[in-house]
Amino acid sequence: MNNFWANIPLFWGKIVATLFFGGVIIWAWFRPKSYIFKGAPDNKVWRDLRIWATLILIVQIILYLVF
Amino acid sequence: MGGIHGIDLFIIISYLLAILFFGTIFRKYIRTTEDFFLAGKMLPWWVISMSIIGTNIGAYDYIGAAGGAYRFGIAQANYEWIGAIPAMVVSAFLFVPYYWKAGVYTVPEYLGKRYNVYVRLIEAILWGLFLVCLLGIFFWASGIMLNTYLGWPINVGILITAIVVGIYTVTGGLTAVAITDVVQLMVMFVGGIAVAILGFWRVGGWSGLVSKITATHPEHFKLFLPLDNPVYPWLGMIFGLAFVLSPAWWCCNQSIIQRTLGAKSEWDAKAGMLFATFPKTLIPLLVVLPGFFALALAGNSSQIQNPDQALPWVIKNILPPGLAGLVFVAFIAALHSSVDSTLNSAATVWTKDIYQRFIKRDASDKHYLIVGRILTIAFVIWGVIFAPVTNKFPGIYVAMQNLLSFFQGPTLATVLLGVSWRRATQWGGLAGLVGGVGISAVLFASKVNFLYVAWWSFAGSLIINIIVSLFTKPEPLEKIQGLVYGLVMKDENIQNIINKRVNGNE
Repeated sequence: MNNFWANIPLFWGKIVATLFFGGVIIWAWFRPKSYIFKGAPDNKVWRDLRIWATLILIVQIILYLVF
Repeated sequence: MGGIHGIDLFIIISYLLAILFFGTIFRKYIRTTEDFFLAGKMLPWWVISMSIIGTNIGAYDYIGAAGGAYRFGIAQANYEWIGAIPAMVVSAFLFVPYYWKAGVYTVPEYLGKRYNVYVRLIEAILWGLFLVCLLGIFFWASGIMLNTYLGWPINVGILITAIVVGIYTVTGGLTAVAITDVVQLMVMFVGGIAVAILGFWRVGGWSGLVSKITATHPEHFKLFLPLDNPVYPWLGMIFGLAFVLSPAWWCCNQSIIQRTLGAKSEWDAKAGMLFATFPKTLIPLLVVLPGFFALALAGNSSQIQNPDQALPWVIKNILPPGLAGLVFVAFIAALHSSVDSTLNSAATVWTKDIYQRFIKRDASDKHYLIVGRILTIAFVIWGVIFAPVTNKFPGIYVAMQNLLSFFQGPTLATVLLGVSWRRATQWGGLAGLVGGVGISAVLFASKVNFLYVAWWSFAGSLIINIIVSLFTKPEPLEKIQGLVYGLVMKDENIQNIINKRVNGNE
């Protein structure tokens, strides 16, 4: 069993990380708009927290692909 | 360290006086326990986000992370990236809104409402003890830092920290803590950017840094390290850190969550946690780069015998007078922002979850405000007395981290099912929490890496909670309304109940 884990190439770490970040982006976009804006003074685009989450997670994907 | 000049000392003393003055301004706004513990529910998102990061980054992180980067490379940044950002997003969208809607002061209080009083008591005692012990460690670290850089006796350094942080935390509560955190984070970034600019200048820019380091340490620019790495095996980083420890920290840690509970609206609570991901992504600039600069400039020479000396070496050898003082102020700011938050959160847990719930239930709000302040003072005194003890037990910080990993996985499983699964019952929650801690103890005794302990205790706690819940009576709807994700989304009556709760009418 330990040999099985040890033989997984490091490259799979990058794939798992990218899928993880991508999965969180998709999960965030499944939150209803009314839920995202609940309590906000207005519904301007910049207050859409799903966009914030997408931006920061794309930065993460880039970092994990580069390094 | 002998590199401190008059200008550095002037900057340090000016900072201490300014933060003391600034922090005590807010005392006039404190009239109720909500003002003291939750900043009167008036915090805007940008203050919350900066306060969260200020709280999260302590002096230990500066020194330890720079040492980790010196030894293992950029893999150290996993703690700031995959080990934080996804969990913060999930916390912002799933956990924070439900804590905020529940109108609670603490995470254990939420668990008490969602499950039962035993779950609340166990969590309150664990967090209460952890936060109070952490204070002693922080105070000792401040004494060591002031001694190392300024030559002040350790006890004097501890007392100065206790007086400065104690005064503004006791008088201004969470408002003072959060606002000073904002200032402290700015100072930390100014200091960190100064180190980055001068460091890059000395090593010949990014390409110079990469070529110098990869010549001797080719693995240092890889985020994931092989499974035989004793500290950062990539599988452990993903399963233990990213899937369990990080969500547990960002979704269940009282000192982190408390800022969002003080938000002026549900949107501000969510946005505060989410916006914190942006400065968090930049934290490796502050804590990882200095380790690289030390490695590039000093190599593995005898100048740096212990990796934790990497950052002090950089300050001593790279920074000119004035800037060294500024960076040292950034250290103090990092330390203060952690101490004040820990102090305020410890007082909140002990006042609301222990004293108000189990010792004196029906006293006036003013009584609990006084108790909160007395406990804050008591914890400052305790921290000062306990600080030297940490020196007698060098492994105490590691022991505290181990204690944290004992209950972080089970806590996350308990909160996760509580928020997301309406069928989770009070007995399922209790069995999952206790069983998960038991699994941690067994694995820890078997000397399993703490990252894997976190993962398996989380998984075990989750399974136990689900099984016991399915065999016990479901919770009545009126008990869990507004506390579980699916219920809030669909029911208009629940929305009305939540609004009443948030407005303090329930």
